[in-house]
Amino acid sequence: MATHSEINESLQAFTENFNKNDRLKIMNRDWNRVVVVKATDVESVHTWILKNGVLTLKEGLTDDPDLTVISDSETLSDVFYGDVTPIEPYNNGTLRIIGTEDDITRLDFICLMIWGE
Amino acid sequence: MVANYVLGDTAWIAILIGGALCFLAAACFSELNGMLPSAAGIRLYFSRAFNDQVSLVVSLLYMLVVVIGVVGVESYILSKVLNEAFPFIPPYCWIVVMLLLVTALNLRGVKIAGVFQDVATYSLIVVTLLIGLYALYKVGFKLNAPLAPGGAEGIINAVAVGVFLFVGFEWVTPLVEEVTQVKQISRGMMISLGILSVVYAVFTVAMTASVPKEILLASPAPQLVFARTILGDFGTSLMIVIIFATSLKTFNAGIISVSRFMYASAREHVLPAVFSRISMRYFTPWVSIITLFFIGLLAAGLTLITNRYQVLVGLAAAMESIVYAMAGLAVISLRRREPGKERPYLIKGGYLIPIITVLVFTLLAVAVLATDLSALLYIAVAFIVVLIYVKTAVPRIKKKYENSRPAARRRPARVQVGMEDKDKL
Repeated sequence: MATHSEINESLQAFTENFNKNDRLKIMNRDWNRVVVVKATDVESVHTWILKNGVLTLKEGLTDDPDLTVISDSETLSDVFYGDVTPIEPYNNGTLRIIGTEDDITRLDFICLMIWGE
Repeated sequence: MVANYVLGDTAWIAILIGGALCFLAAACFSELNGMLPSAAGIRLYFSRAFNDQVSLVVSLLYMLVVVIGVVGVESYILSKVLNEAFPFIPPYCWIVVMLLLVTALNLRGVKIAGVFQDVATYSLIVVTLLIGLYALYKVGFKLNAPLAPGGAEGIINAVAVGVFLFVGFEWVTPLVEEVTQVKQISRGMMISLGILSVVYAVFTVAMTASVPKEILLASPAPQLVFARTILGDFGTSLMIVIIFATSLKTFNAGIISVSRFMYASAREHVLPAVFSRISMRYFTPWVSIITLFFIGLLAAGLTLITNRYQVLVGLAAAMESIVYAMAGLAVISLRRREPGKERPYLIKGGYLIPIITVLVFTLLAVAVLATDLSALLYIAVAFIVVLIYVKTAVPRIKKKYENSRPAARRRPARVQVGMEDKDKL
């Protein structure tokens, strides 16, 4: 079981890599979203805000997110460090993403752009 | 086709039975969907209920057969209909134009707006029902032996093919992550099945009451023959618009669903990585979409050359029946494997409905495949090809991915504090 700080570190790593990638920032400049990431086995909730191509991370919950990512702490850490693609745990039911299908695909694509295949 | 298996104007019996049986399958999908709410759909349900290989084989086979069957049949009918209206344009041109249009829309990421979809769908339902009722009114509601369908074999085959009318009702389950309440999915499925059963029953009976069956069967677009008989040139034009609109929606839905499935499969390393390529501009899985375009052209072209669209109907109906039977099995399996899992929708009556679902749809699949040996041959060949692919190519793709991964994990290893250190502290 990963700890809250491990999840936080993985999300920070993801955020830094996103913001370092100019191509991603340009591609997502019109895709403003609020994403909540919640662990099921430890007390850990984070919110990402993507606005004008810039991603910021904060701890805690937000009302009315566009996407909610829910999984166990190990899976969340692995996914956002890029050790596992989101689709694998998604297809076996370990990772749940609540949102439109297009947004889910876009989130996976962002992972692909940051971490590769 | 449904009406051809039964006597007189009794197709409504087969259609209503088919609709009622689909309710059983819908109940199974509702329980699975509530338990495992995910756009991954049968990929996830069957993986949990059986194993990943079974899930992968069935999912790949399902996508392949349904897309070829649906695209093949729809494009064939559409091209014949439009060729009748515009005889100077060859049928295949219409197929190319339609597929190009839908492919372009999907590449560009243009969604046929939700409101338009709703308006189009409800309009189609209302118009189809009104035409049917008008036709029945014209014949004075006189039906030929409406309660004597004939032998059991005919009814079974009629029901099996009739299931094809309801193909895709379960495709609403992947929307579970877009709705606020999971129950909306099951409610939507049940209501749509009820409405479609009634509309199809009225329309089909109106057709056979107005036009001799031999004439209807001889045409790939019997609804056009029927509309012309009832409403003359206006009916022809109206039916062409209806067929065009339904084909457009079907192609669009098919390409959207299957291209996303191909993308997800590539990301999961069960299809080559090339299918996960996404357009940087439109965020659409362009390689998957273009591949489907060519598959669609091939399926439609072969159907046009052979004129054997009815085989594709049988193929798709059999595949749907197999998937519905497996849904029933999955419910049974998951109740035993994961009895404590939350089930917001639990089918009442214990195992009765899942068992009936398994038996009925297995029987229907067997009935279709026993009657149409070509469909049996195609599904058998497709199954063997997919099985070989899953057993040989998929492990290779996964191995290639493993070899290309960085040797070290990116996630830092957790530092373990040893017992001696703990004592020192």
